Amino acid sequence: MSETSDTIPVTVLTGYLGAGKTTLLNRILTENHGKKFAVVINEFGELGVDNDLVIDADEEVFEMNNGCICCTVRGDLVRILGGLMKRRGKFDGIIVETTGLANPAPVAQTFFMDEDVKRATRLDAIVTVVDAKNLIARLADSTEAEEQIAFADLIVLNKMDLVSEEEAAEVERRIKAINPYAEIQRATKSAVPVESVIGRDAFKLERILEREPDFLTSDEHEHNDEVMSMSFEVSQPIDAEKFNAWISQLLQAKGQDLLRTKGILAYKDEPNRFAFQAVHMIADGDFIGPWKEGDPRKSKIVFIGRNLNRPQLRRGFEGCVASPGVA
Amino acid sequence: MSESLSGGAMGSVEDADFLLSTRGAGHELGAWVVSAAFGRDGQGAAFGLGDGTLHLADPAQPAAPWRKLEAHDGACLTVVPDFAAGFLSGGDDGKLLRVLPDGSTATLADFGMMKWVEHIAAHASGLRAVGVGKAVHLLDKGGATLKTLAHPSTVGGVAFDAKGKRVAAGHYNGVSLWFVNSKEDKPRVLPWKGSHQLVAFSPDGTHVVSTMQENALHGWRLTDQQDMRMSGYPAKIKSFSFTAKGRWMATAGADCVVLWPFFAGGPMGKPPMELAGGDGVLCTQVACHPQHEVVAAGFQDGLVLMAEIGSGKIVPVAAPGRGAVSALAWNATGTQLAFGTETGFAGLVDLSKRG
Repeated sequence: MSETSDTIPVTVLTGYLGAGKTTLLNRILTENHGKKFAVVINEFGELGVDNDLVIDADEEVFEMNNGCICCTVRGDLVRILGGLMKRRGKFDGIIVETTGLANPAPVAQTFFMDEDVKRATRLDAIVTVVDAKNLIARLADSTEAEEQIAFADLIVLNKMDLVSEEEAAEVERRIKAINPYAEIQRATKSAVPVESVIGRDAFKLERILEREPDFLTSDEHEHNDEVMSMSFEVSQPIDAEKFNAWISQLLQAKGQDLLRTKGILAYKDEPNRFAFQAVHMIADGDFIGPWKEGDPRKSKIVFIGRNLNRPQLRRGFEGCVASPGVA
Repeated sequence: MSESLSGGAMGSVEDADFLLSTRGAGHELGAWVVSAAFGRDGQGAAFGLGDGTLHLADPAQPAAPWRKLEAHDGACLTVVPDFAAGFLSGGDDGKLLRVLPDGSTATLADFGMMKWVEHIAAHASGLRAVGVGKAVHLLDKGGATLKTLAHPSTVGGVAFDAKGKRVAAGHYNGVSLWFVNSKEDKPRVLPWKGSHQLVAFSPDGTHVVSTMQENALHGWRLTDQQDMRMSGYPAKIKSFSFTAKGRWMATAGADCVVLWPFFAGGPMGKPPMELAGGDGVLCTQVACHPQHEVVAAGFQDGLVLMAEIGSGKIVPVAAPGRGAVSALAWNATGTQLAFGTETGFAGLVDLSKRG
């Protein structure tokens, strides 16, 4: 993913029908921040959008011809973002609103897979708006609701006026079980500060594991088809070659189940941190500057997905530790 | 090829600009040049820009001031020659405009503010095809809609065959061919997995070629529906063009001009020829001369050149340094060449002048 400053940031808004996506969108657009946005909406939008530059999208999900069935992109986004680049300078950012039933993976993958999109834009963050009152029911009856949470960098827990504190706490617990790395912002009528939504740079490799989640340490329930997250840590240096071999093989074999993978690695004899992220099988990684003086050089990897086998993943990651020896 | 450009006689920037400075002129227009086109009747050249403006020039006097039109509320997405005089221009304001060289403008169709008019083709017979969303609208001389052809997904490009009997539209998982005059509108679908964008017929109408979402082109031989996979490109192919008699198809998308042979059984099983390569700069636009086996090419660094296919001889038109070439076109007789760049430079060269 391109990290240069002349790329245009794209914020993706997801969430179920009626959760308050369009209200949040209009809030971002009308607040007095001096920024201009191009807005891509789906044609079945709930409410009108208050903006000069609104583009109607069709949510066309295309498979890439590389033999990998989870390598899908949003063909309409490739086209629209390409067209928007021809009028650069007319806006500061792009906001993409998806339909309630959209799977966020093709949207995210578009920013990794398409070279034109990569060159001109960067995925800033995936923001998921959820309805505090109805989320638990949605999680029970749809896989998309789970995936929208799994992919989120920020979750706006909306309609807080309709739930009790106990209900809200239970919803948050469910969200954290799926994705402990997302920030949760409670809101009523989608009222959250615009700066908490826009300009997060959440997909930037430097920020990959910035948030230290409150871990739910217990292995309470690990039903196979439920989305969950697991993280592993080792304090010995990692062998880069071993890690590459393991992670490529893992993503190849389990990519469909692995929604998001993120890691910060301390390679043997390497002063810089290596950051790694993947959406399904599509991975991106780079060195992101040195370890802070005095900070422990701990390598950490996080998986969010289905059918995660904790012992197997742990053994795999621990198997990447470099053999002791002289440098 | 690179030596003839980077060393020897063509060594300096001034030399590479020889044609532009002695037989043409360039203008800084201030926004991404989306399209360049000449009127079919030889009158007028037009540049369509990402800021919604059109710039009209007299190709016989490139250095004279160009006329600026505020054409679209938004971006201009494409400009093509109309069936006779003038141009058709499509914008992201949903408008299809007819523009004459004197600047007079008429709105032929308005598809609505959120619809993008990105793909247009016109045929000398008077037919116009306009791709908007999943539909291709066929318009007659007067601008009346003859029919609307529906596709399974958004149309990525439209083209007529040389006779104007068929229109092709690229979309997800294939290209649809429609007979323009057919009573029953049922397309012949040329299937191939993936997203197809730009399309073109070979000049003799026997082949259809499309550009894909991946770094590849796909082609079909219509006589036996044989597939042609043209892959191995380092970048997406944004431009391709057949030579006048259809012997070669030139493509952008590599660090040279790639030419596929459409004769002696090719391109199946035949390797392409490469021209004007060697310096590692991506070719972004190609346009074949309308009569001779000569191809004009524009590159990522702004270089514009002409290459003679038979001899491999290269003549520079404009030096690098003015932004990636994003538009390139010949006039109908091949005496004038227009180009534009992503950073808003547009050039017009009249090769017919002597001395």
